[in-house]
Amino acid sequence: MTEHTVSPLGAMILTYRVLVRQLFSLGRGAALAALAAAVILVAWAVGASDSASPENDALRVVVDLGFGVMVPIVVLVFATAALGDMREEGTLVYLWLRPMKRWPVVVGACLAAFVISLPFTLLPVVLSALVSGGSSDLVYGAMIAGFVGVLAYTAVFVFLGLLVKNAVVWGLTYILVWETVAAGFGTFPARMAIRGYTRSILTGKVGIELELADVGLTAGIMVPLLIALGAIILGSWRLSRLDVA
Amino acid sequence: MVQVTNVTKSFGDVVAVSDVSFDVGPGVTALLGPNGAGKSTLFRVLCGLTPPTKGAVRVLGRDARTDRMVRGRIGLAPQQETLFDRLTAHQFVSIAAASHGIPEQETVARSALDLVELSSDEEKPLGAYSKGMRQRVKLAAALVNDPSVLILDEPLTGLDPVQRTRMIELFNGLADEGKCILVSSHVLDEVARLGSRVLVIAQGRLAATGDYHALRDLMDDRPHRIRVGASDPRRLASVLIERGIADGVDVSAESVTLDTHDVDGFGRAVAPMARELDIHVTEVVPVDDDLESVFRYLVER
Repeated sequence: MTEHTVSPLGAMILTYRVLVRQLFSLGRGAALAALAAAVILVAWAVGASDSASPENDALRVVVDLGFGVMVPIVVLVFATAALGDMREEGTLVYLWLRPMKRWPVVVGACLAAFVISLPFTLLPVVLSALVSGGSSDLVYGAMIAGFVGVLAYTAVFVFLGLLVKNAVVWGLTYILVWETVAAGFGTFPARMAIRGYTRSILTGKVGIELELADVGLTAGIMVPLLIALGAIILGSWRLSRLDVA
Repeated sequence: MVQVTNVTKSFGDVVAVSDVSFDVGPGVTALLGPNGAGKSTLFRVLCGLTPPTKGAVRVLGRDARTDRMVRGRIGLAPQQETLFDRLTAHQFVSIAAASHGIPEQETVARSALDLVELSSDEEKPLGAYSKGMRQRVKLAAALVNDPSVLILDEPLTGLDPVQRTRMIELFNGLADEGKCILVSSHVLDEVARLGSRVLVIAQGRLAATGDYHALRDLMDDRPHRIRVGASDPRRLASVLIERGIADGVDVSAESVTLDTHDVDGFGRAVAPMARELDIHVTEVVPVDDDLESVFRYLVER
């Protein structure tokens, strides 16, 4: 009897292939595209209005609507669904009971959620920066912050989907309570908010001070990447100890 | 090939499987029990999908929860119907093959679907499949790695009689190749057709094991409870006890409920006895002939 095994790369690609097909639906796509369109529309309205400080206004739109609402919520929808939905529906068994290591499954799930989230996050954020009259530094900063932010949120929310039931509710609580309110209460809660790092990247690029943006550009990029790595490690640990239906 | 030693599985205060032990070798072994008896939980523990609270499970001498190599030698068709609904059957089974590291996925998927009599060319997504077709797709996915141990949780549910017969033939064919096949069911007749060895599980406990025919005899030999509607139940009850036909009686205003080990003797005696005593009998009804009662008896004996 031959004992087959799956290489980490093979497991990653396989998980990615399965999830890319499962995660995207027309309904989900339409709702999130509408959200993205609304943000771009507001950005365009801001850009079209007379303002004494257009760069500042453009930055506020990108920060408050783009990184405050759209990026975390879009990623939350796709990333918690990646392995979380499989776990709750009972299809996770088709990836779990296999001769595969756990970490490539988590990485594959993160990649799928990341790739599907990008058109609904990075593109509208960059477009918002453009149409709101932001400088090229703001557009460039939005691009870096978007990429880094989506990556960190993706890994954290994939882990959350494995950790708890109703992960969307827990994720919304994190976005609306922790990132929006609690992060303003001190250094520790601010450091635990991904939003602080995306803001730091934007501040680093455009030179305008923002609340919570109190780390340098390099730390603003590196820390979310480390958060993503940590979330993948925790997700793999969680997957190996999960009760699978 | 499968060893279960003193396995208990609890979820909080609920004990789903209680101190179960058995060894299973090549061939078909049926796990029989009513819904909620703990069959699926036991299968999940076997596959490593959930750890036992107490005890140990070995599949091919290894623990499927921690040993990924042994997971490649297990085929599982779980009870839940959910599949990757946007995929076709061929895509789903190909992915199952890929997830086992099998190089020729397309060919293997085609063969597995052929075995369960489904077409690889069907373009319809799995979401549009009937229950029976989904059942067969799960089976094909479970077979795709040519497993040494095949665990099938209620695999005949939703299949029509012809498909059932063919699937049972398939299981027996695989058993003849030396594979260990564990099949769960809550239907006694289904188990009769699967033949071989039977493990009866009820209320999370292993209630009986053995050959199907021995088990059937055991079930038939159990005390039966019968309600007899009568014009004078008290007198009828005392004569039934007096003549040793009933082991115990419970009398109400209009009927007598009796326990007997000799259901055939009771059947022969009741009408002449009623005539002799000039008692009008209105009904004779077995009150514990359902499978639940049989399982309860096996657990409590």
